[in-house]
Amino acid sequence: MMIGGGRSSSSSSTATAAGGTWVSTTSVSASGKRIQREMSELNADPPPHCSAAPKGDNLFHWVATIIGPPGTPYQGGIFFLDIAFPSDYPFQPPKVVFKTRIYHCNVDAAGNLSLDILKDSWSPALTISKVLTAIRSIFSNPDPYSPLTSGVARLYLADKAKHDEIASEWTLRFAK
Amino acid sequence: MVREEAKQAPEDSQQPNKAETSQNVDNLFSPRFKSVAAMAGWDEEALIIASLVVEDTPDRQQSKQKKRSDSIFNTPPCTSSRRKRRAQRTPLNLDEEQEVPKEEGEKESMEQRIVVEDEKNSKANEPALHCMDKLREELSCAICLDICFEPSTTPCGHSFCKKCLRSAADKCGKRCPKCRQLIGNGRSCTVNTVLWNTIQLLFPKEVETRKAIAADALNSKEAFECQSPQSGTRSTRTTRTRTRTRVENHENQALAARLQREDLSRLVNTDTNMTRRRGDPNQDNNAASARLQRGNDLSRLVRTGRRRGTPSQDEDAALALRLQREEFMEAFRGSSGHEGNEQTRIPLALARANLRAMASRAINRGRAV
Repeated sequence: MMIGGGRSSSSSSTATAAGGTWVSTTSVSASGKRIQREMSELNADPPPHCSAAPKGDNLFHWVATIIGPPGTPYQGGIFFLDIAFPSDYPFQPPKVVFKTRIYHCNVDAAGNLSLDILKDSWSPALTISKVLTAIRSIFSNPDPYSPLTSGVARLYLADKAKHDEIASEWTLRFAK
Repeated sequence: MVREEAKQAPEDSQQPNKAETSQNVDNLFSPRFKSVAAMAGWDEEALIIASLVVEDTPDRQQSKQKKRSDSIFNTPPCTSSRRKRRAQRTPLNLDEEQEVPKEEGEKESMEQRIVVEDEKNSKANEPALHCMDKLREELSCAICLDICFEPSTTPCGHSFCKKCLRSAADKCGKRCPKCRQLIGNGRSCTVNTVLWNTIQLLFPKEVETRKAIAADALNSKEAFECQSPQSGTRSTRTTRTRTRTRVENHENQALAARLQREDLSRLVNTDTNMTRRRGDPNQDNNAASARLQRGNDLSRLVRTGRRRGTPSQDEDAALALRLQREEFMEAFRGSSGHEGNEQTRIPLALARANLRAMASRAINRGRAV
């Protein structure tokens, strides 16, 4: 990803054939600004039981944590997530992946999430804070009708007690 | 004032009494008191804090006097504070009949009232800041999270920066980013003038910085477009003229730096040559005037080229090449010639600078066209 490089090449007269990079350069700086703004807003007013911050120097790569909400089999677990912002954020959704294993019908073994707002229903007015809140809400209300792991979804529908038992076991094993 | 105090005393006493009997926040104030307090703009927290302050005050008489004098000094004689005081009184009157007045409670309540007033005074400019924050939140664009720059309002009533809304319509489909309603064509969005003027009035600083950034981005974009001939052809006439001056500035700076460097190298050359051989000064003068003459010729060439219309790129390239060759030859001759007195050197350097500037301008023009 060229954040600083694009701008310098555009100002030098040698970059004649770089017509495409200019457009991406503006959007990168605009999205960087927006991400920075989101960061300060998250610091000032974080959503309950969630946190998120850039991983290192790269503003476009964040790590987030969600604490399992009480009253769910995920209670007390600390779930880590990786957030990768596309260069044309907020016009494209961020890519969110679970780094902590979780027994949930909307999360697959690789940590991928099936959440509509992170795919087709994404809107540029959404923020990471809202995304984290949405993820936290699928902890308490899994959606077994659009599952990523159909086995878990089937169990959730057929025998919720058993499902919860396994889920809390996984939480104890992986998220504590 | 005495009458007022007497009137207030009884109902004021309710609070400390209640605080003593009950720890529960809900039981601390009667529902009627709370409802009217809410109408007066007090939040429950402030009331609780105020009552706690009363309880914690060790020497009541002393602090009372102090607080009072403070409040006298701090209170600006404004109508809003009077209104506040009036509002404060009304809720307290409500529960009058329910409460039994007490000597002890009277003192405390007086205290409490003063403390509350004092707090209000110290926070006098805080609401203004809070209000500004709320406005900022309200007037910011949900897409860039900044203050709306040239806001455009969707048919569903949501406002975004014009640019943001356009990008959203381009990249995310023709739905409102806030409520997902269809918003028709995002391309034809217009600026909501009333909102834009309001924003400009409320946040002049932010708008100014955004404008500067936008102008800068536009300029650098134009400069880039000017540099790449394919995209340059697309740009309009006005932008071309604006960028040309910008590019010229850049070029001139680079040119000045280069000239300085070359002059230095020439100086070194002439110095070394000077030690080697000495020629007659007239000859040098002649050479200089010849060079000047050539410079004039070239500038005429450039000028005619300009007058003729837009010179083709090949012509410009040829011209540049020729100029470079001339320059090189000149430099060569300059070094083969010798010390060259200062009077001839300065106009010479000037002529060269002019020549280069004109040439580069011609080249840029050619590129832009």
